[in-house]
Amino acid sequence: MSITLSRRHFLASSAAALAVGASGVLPAWAQNANLRLIFWGGQARADRTYGVVDLFTAEHPDVAIEGEFLGWADYWPKVATQTAGGNQPDIIQMDYRYIGEYARRGSLAPLDSYVGAGLDISSFDQDQLRNGTIDGKLIGVSLGVAAGATVFNSKVLGDAGVDIDPMRWTYDDLLTHGPKVWEATGGATAMAPDGSGIELLFENWLRQKGKALYADGKPAFTPEDVTEWFELWAALREAKAIISPDEQAIDTGQLETAPLVRGKSAMNFTTSNQLVAYQTLVPDPLGIAIYPATSADSKGGHYRNSSQYFALSASSAAPEKAIEFINFFVNTPAAATLLGVERGVPASSAMRDAVAASLDERGQMVVKYIADLGEIAGDVPPTPPASAGEIEVALKTKSQEVAFGAQSPADAGPAFYDQVIQTLGRTS
Amino acid sequence: MTDAPMKLTVVGAETPIWRKRLTSVVSHGLLISASILMLYPLLWMLAASFRPENEIFTSASIIPSSWSLDAYFRGWHGLRTSFSVFFTNSFIVSIFSVIGNVFACSLAAFAFARLEFRGRKIWFALMLMTLMLPYQVTLIPQYVLFRQLGWVDTFLPLIVPKFLAADAFFIFLMVQFFRGIPRELDEAAMMDGAGPWRIYWKIMLPLSTPVLATAAIFTFIWTWDDFFGPLIYLNKMSDYTVMLGLRTFTDSTGMSDYGGLFAMSVLSIVPIFLFFLIFQRLLIEGIATTGMKR
Amino acid sequence: MTVQNATSTIPYSEAPKASVWKRIWQQDAPGYLFLLPWFIGFFGLTLGPMISSLYLSFNHFDLLTAPRWAGVDNYVRMFTNDPKFAASMRVTMFFVVFSVPLKLAFALGVALLLNRGMKGLTLYRSLFYLPSLLGASVAIAILWRQIFAADGLVNKFLSIFGIIGPSWISNPNYSLWTLIVLSIWQFGSPMIIFLAGLRQIPQDMYEAASLDGASKWRQFWKITLPLLTPVVFFNAIIQTIEAFKSFTPAFIISGGTGNPINSTLFYTLYLYQEAFGFFRMGYASALAWVLLALVAVFTAFSFLTSKYWVHYDD
Repeated sequence: MSITLSRRHFLASSAAALAVGASGVLPAWAQNANLRLIFWGGQARADRTYGVVDLFTAEHPDVAIEGEFLGWADYWPKVATQTAGGNQPDIIQMDYRYIGEYARRGSLAPLDSYVGAGLDISSFDQDQLRNGTIDGKLIGVSLGVAAGATVFNSKVLGDAGVDIDPMRWTYDDLLTHGPKVWEATGGATAMAPDGSGIELLFENWLRQKGKALYADGKPAFTPEDVTEWFELWAALREAKAIISPDEQAIDTGQLETAPLVRGKSAMNFTTSNQLVAYQTLVPDPLGIAIYPATSADSKGGHYRNSSQYFALSASSAAPEKAIEFINFFVNTPAAATLLGVERGVPASSAMRDAVAASLDERGQMVVKYIADLGEIAGDVPPTPPASAGEIEVALKTKSQEVAFGAQSPADAGPAFYDQVIQTLGRTS
Repeated sequence: MTDAPMKLTVVGAETPIWRKRLTSVVSHGLLISASILMLYPLLWMLAASFRPENEIFTSASIIPSSWSLDAYFRGWHGLRTSFSVFFTNSFIVSIFSVIGNVFACSLAAFAFARLEFRGRKIWFALMLMTLMLPYQVTLIPQYVLFRQLGWVDTFLPLIVPKFLAADAFFIFLMVQFFRGIPRELDEAAMMDGAGPWRIYWKIMLPLSTPVLATAAIFTFIWTWDDFFGPLIYLNKMSDYTVMLGLRTFTDSTGMSDYGGLFAMSVLSIVPIFLFFLIFQRLLIEGIATTGMKR
Repeated sequence: MTVQNATSTIPYSEAPKASVWKRIWQQDAPGYLFLLPWFIGFFGLTLGPMISSLYLSFNHFDLLTAPRWAGVDNYVRMFTNDPKFAASMRVTMFFVVFSVPLKLAFALGVALLLNRGMKGLTLYRSLFYLPSLLGASVAIAILWRQIFAADGLVNKFLSIFGIIGPSWISNPNYSLWTLIVLSIWQFGSPMIIFLAGLRQIPQDMYEAASLDGASKWRQFWKITLPLLTPVVFFNAIIQTIEAFKSFTPAFIISGGTGNPINSTLFYTLYLYQEAFGFFRMGYASALAWVLLALVAVFTAFSFLTSKYWVHYDD
């Protein structure tokens, strides 16, 4: 592919050089493919990503890539404005929630026709491909495997004499050990944050019960499930196993507001790819564990999600080149080594092997965690329905109503369920 | 700055010295304690820019355990494009905005405050209306418009509207001040045969230094602080402004360089503070000090 | 705006027998010429997007596909079936009612204090303006947590008196107040405008008054305040409009969520969530126009009453 392109480029530029030969000026359009790439992330991600861009353009001097990165909160309004304004970048980093919204509205190009013809996914995990498939079409190329994970402060737990089995610990452990952490720290630190408003955790708990968040665009749980969920957390709150509602409400999603970072809890319920980021903000060594199980031998709650994807704009003027870059990004050992596990563990088994040797301790912990998840993990859920983002926000708000005592778990269950039905039924 | 208030001492002469001293001490005491209250958050930020990264959110003390300029060096070059580029861009955008705003808004304000023409009230009402619609909903149509003009990815969407008096805040502000200037002055000038342009140029503008300085200060600071316009219209990192660069330091989903953020936040305030310091001298000129007698 | 009688404005048309065109040229042209830049901006840049958003408010528009006509659906939904609309309206009203008068009183008070010609005036003025320089920087959110969290500065101070305070910033009963405090903390802009207004009051009026033996207090009520009314009027209108549209403080401090329990869900924050979070630009546009109508009614009312208390020199 790259050879043909280079040759074509060579021919094109020679023809152009002939055409303007007399003047002796190299035409600016000889550098014919200008790709735009946009992604969210911090500086560390940007450094790694631009490193790969440099590698790629060194091999493909005919392609110029203009990269742009923003923080998560600024990213989505910008991408929406660019898309609505007909000025979408060629390669867009996507999230599991937004990819469905954009794909179903036709602003992302299906990649099926490029598979085997520019895009090599032969060594990709099957679940990673399924994650990127929307309505039967491959839309997103997974940039990393991530799974729900509990990140914990080993020192605080150790000092309190709490020892959990990272791959088998349960909600009962939280209830029995939680008060020890509270006492050992004199009430300064709780064992866990209040997870009742975290959708991923709720989903994990539902899946352990053999249910799910959504099936065929409808809720796959009952109002009673929601009530039971809120009661579970009410009991933990009562026992001082988790932090107070006041402290939990400070967590607005930014890393620096997480109770773990502020020293208010010994854990955080997050995703595996976040371990490294948390470690930069916490002085004590961190460990990684599963979300609490409902019983020690419970299975099927976790699944290997994709932390993010690269997707191709439906309006890209140079889709082949864009695909070539995406392929380079996920299938070149040199690129994989540069990227490490910052976006999650590589989706391709070949790249996982390539990366393994160069990882630091935390990076290796993440890779091991994903590998160990093998027997515990279940199938990936289908892409969430439209408006799922709004429901995620609603769960957080509802959990606060219960935690602050504005609504009882018994009332909150049916109320939340009604809200879900209404939201799913609403047109945009 | 000092001569005008001195005249007030005519009154002060009758009050006893000890009372004056007491009032002064109490005033200063109040102002100093208020200043500390106002400034604590800024001091915290300054301290945060010097402390070790993993201490920023966990340390209770405002004094760092160790001092380092690391974050400044790291932050300056941290985003692949150096902050010197961002600062230059911010200066270009802000300076042009100041020129545009002061010029275009004062023209419009003069018309609304002093000239009689048909439709004046309707236009004034429409102008105020442009202040009332949240920008979030005009953003996309405006983006489409600027894209058709070929202005996306340039500074033009940030600067040109200022030259077209698009910010009604400043027109309204200047109208209020222009109306406070005694009308006898223009009437006298008109007797001497001056037209509207000369009245605007020779009477209004010179007598309006405080409000023009206010407009210049606000425009500079607000343009400097604005991140949404640059966020939407600028794509290339080499075109980013300081505020946009600062936003890029934090990503809620991954690693962020908080030390760099605070260090650059501190530096980002320096130019606007200097601008304020320089222009605030003009704030206190005007009728009061130019010796206008009525 | 207040009614101006024709005699007090500059009578540019002094030739009553001139032709219609000449009269238009002499009477209307100067005004329109001075407004020319504004006209170009208004018709070229501002009006089009405003009309677009009005049109979109009668559509379902998901940003990515073409708008679909919805009639008045969006407006009907807002008033009949949207608890978040009502909640966000309450939050915004509360914010407007408390933050605007407090901020203005604070700004006017400090401006008066700073206008007395005491030593170090420039220094104080600069210090008091510093917080406003920060604008809506991300650093503000972090600073505010340092002050109003459970172990923040406020509670450390209260603990001296044995009071254990809540986490002000994240408790639904108090969180909105921390945003009101933030708004007051950044009182620099109205303060500067008040100061500029105070400087425009001719000093000789005070001199004359004090020679007549008027007390400082009387001077304030009889000279300062009346002559300052155009500026008070301006600040009140602008701060109210800004408070109704207030977005960034809640956005950065609640991380865009409006939580805890929607207690900081400002109207425009809700509008923004609908537009960019949930892909309902049509509905968001309808929300925006309802806000505009509300603010316009308030502003028109203020202008109508202004002739009874705002004193212009013209």
